[in-house]
Amino acid sequence: MKKREGRKNILYGVVLSILSLTVVYPLLMVFFTSLKDKKEGAALNIKLPKEWLWQNYIEVMKVGNTFRALGNSMFVSAVTLVIVLVAASMLGYVIARLNTRESRSVDRLINLGIIVPFSAMPTMVLLQGLGIYGGLWGLICVYSALYLPFSTMIMTSYVKGIPRELDEAAVIDGAKGIGLFVRIIVPLMKPVAATVVILVFMWSWNELQVPLYLLNSSASYTLPMSVFNFYGANQKWWNLVCADVILVTLPVIVIYICAQKYFISGMTAGAVKM
Amino acid sequence: MNKNKIYPKYMLYCPLIFYAVFLIAPSTLGYVLALTDWSATRSSFRDISFVGLENLIGVINKRTLPTAFVNTLIYATVKTVLVTILGLFLAYMLNRSIKGRNILRTLYFLPSVFSALVVGLIFSGIFKVRGGPVNEFFELLGFSRIQWLADRWSAIFTVNVASIWCNVGYAMVISLAGMQSVSQDYLEAAKIDGANEWNIYTRVTLPLIMPVVNVNILTNIIYGLKMFDIIYVMTGGGPGYSTESLGTLMMHEMGAGRYASSVAVNFIFTVFLVIVSVAFKKFSERLELET
Repeated sequence: MKKREGRKNILYGVVLSILSLTVVYPLLMVFFTSLKDKKEGAALNIKLPKEWLWQNYIEVMKVGNTFRALGNSMFVSAVTLVIVLVAASMLGYVIARLNTRESRSVDRLINLGIIVPFSAMPTMVLLQGLGIYGGLWGLICVYSALYLPFSTMIMTSYVKGIPRELDEAAVIDGAKGIGLFVRIIVPLMKPVAATVVILVFMWSWNELQVPLYLLNSSASYTLPMSVFNFYGANQKWWNLVCADVILVTLPVIVIYICAQKYFISGMTAGAVKM
Repeated sequence: MNKNKIYPKYMLYCPLIFYAVFLIAPSTLGYVLALTDWSATRSSFRDISFVGLENLIGVINKRTLPTAFVNTLIYATVKTVLVTILGLFLAYMLNRSIKGRNILRTLYFLPSVFSALVVGLIFSGIFKVRGGPVNEFFELLGFSRIQWLADRWSAIFTVNVASIWCNVGYAMVISLAGMQSVSQDYLEAAKIDGANEWNIYTRVTLPLIMPVVNVNILTNIIYGLKMFDIIYVMTGGGPGYSTESLGTLMMHEMGAGRYASSVAVNFIFTVFLVIVSVAFKKFSERLELET
């Protein structure tokens, strides 16, 4: 019986390894192509480059304005993160604790935000009206509002797991309101905060549709926008396109490998309770 | 003490106002714009006038919206069905004690962290007419090259392949989390009763993780219907309008200067998504109660 299990596991292991080539092959293909010259890069495969042309990366950074886009992306992601963390933790806390009709309808309104698609043109009009259309701050506001619902949902279900007796004990000691929240609840929210940070970072880092509508000058392009435009202009040079793809993906891959635990708990967080 | 003093309401309303301004207002009040003749030539709000349901009827009568609607359904359905099944299949195998399973899990999940833009670019490369690995392989076998993105159905096929590739990892991780939460006692009990592996999987494990699978399906439906980046990068909605989804159609209506039509498409899109999600939730709740 044990032996048969073992043989089956080896079989599954082989099947899974072969299937994983569907992931490995494209990645190696992109990496090797990014180091080839223009002619060699026209054929995409996993042959080793004849010459390892690391200067492709420098060329892409110059032509694609990657540094500026990198800075923009980092700024947008960082500010969005702060706003979402503050707003979602407060909302999640109060929704979880205050079980009134009012808080339940707020909860429902927030959940609706997960479903509805981005309303592009009306949002543009709104930002124009507020005078922040085209710049990074407009983008930050829209990102924060878009990513708030899911983050709040995760936070709410987490706070529900923190015993209410803790609040009551703090109230007896004289804490209330924002002080109670900041001193007692926030320190307990570190794990869920890490999850939200990872998720929101990944979404805001990767987003393309929203900046396509909301950014109007190349000075404020985020990374995906710069890659998209670079691809539009240099479609024929696959070596450079691949180098650009590597540049934009590398930060996410590095963070993923370092913080895999949080990535996985973040992505499964919604599955626990929805 | 009063509950409202312990949990002050401004902590509820400050974030809510922000959220309402930037998300709820544009996606409710903003749709009023669909009832006007707002366009690139009449972009100032002083010039626009109320035209009623003209735009909504207009986009429905044009060929583009029904095509985009059907495509959106195809993208979402194919993705949801295949991603869910493949995810369960991978999770089932990865839940066993296989050598190197942590590396395999990491690898399978990796595409889920990529931006859809990058996935679209990678697959444009893979299905490239000249020099793309798929066509090179076909040539090796003696077939002729296929212009993958030049025909509606083959283009839809390639887009689906790309979207499945980057979503399977997520489905796998969720299913795996579900399977790991199933108590070993149930599995032992079923084994003692003489159930074989397949029976244990379909009669014990699967029903127990059904709530998790349902969440998986719902997420896939929502994000499948909202799919934009991969299509926009790979086909740009073309050839013609034949691979357009509702998301890319919105973009193209705006690009063509028909602002009000874009908002009309957006409105139809929203109503459709809300109906589908609510219907699925009701359906899955009933399903979970029965089992």
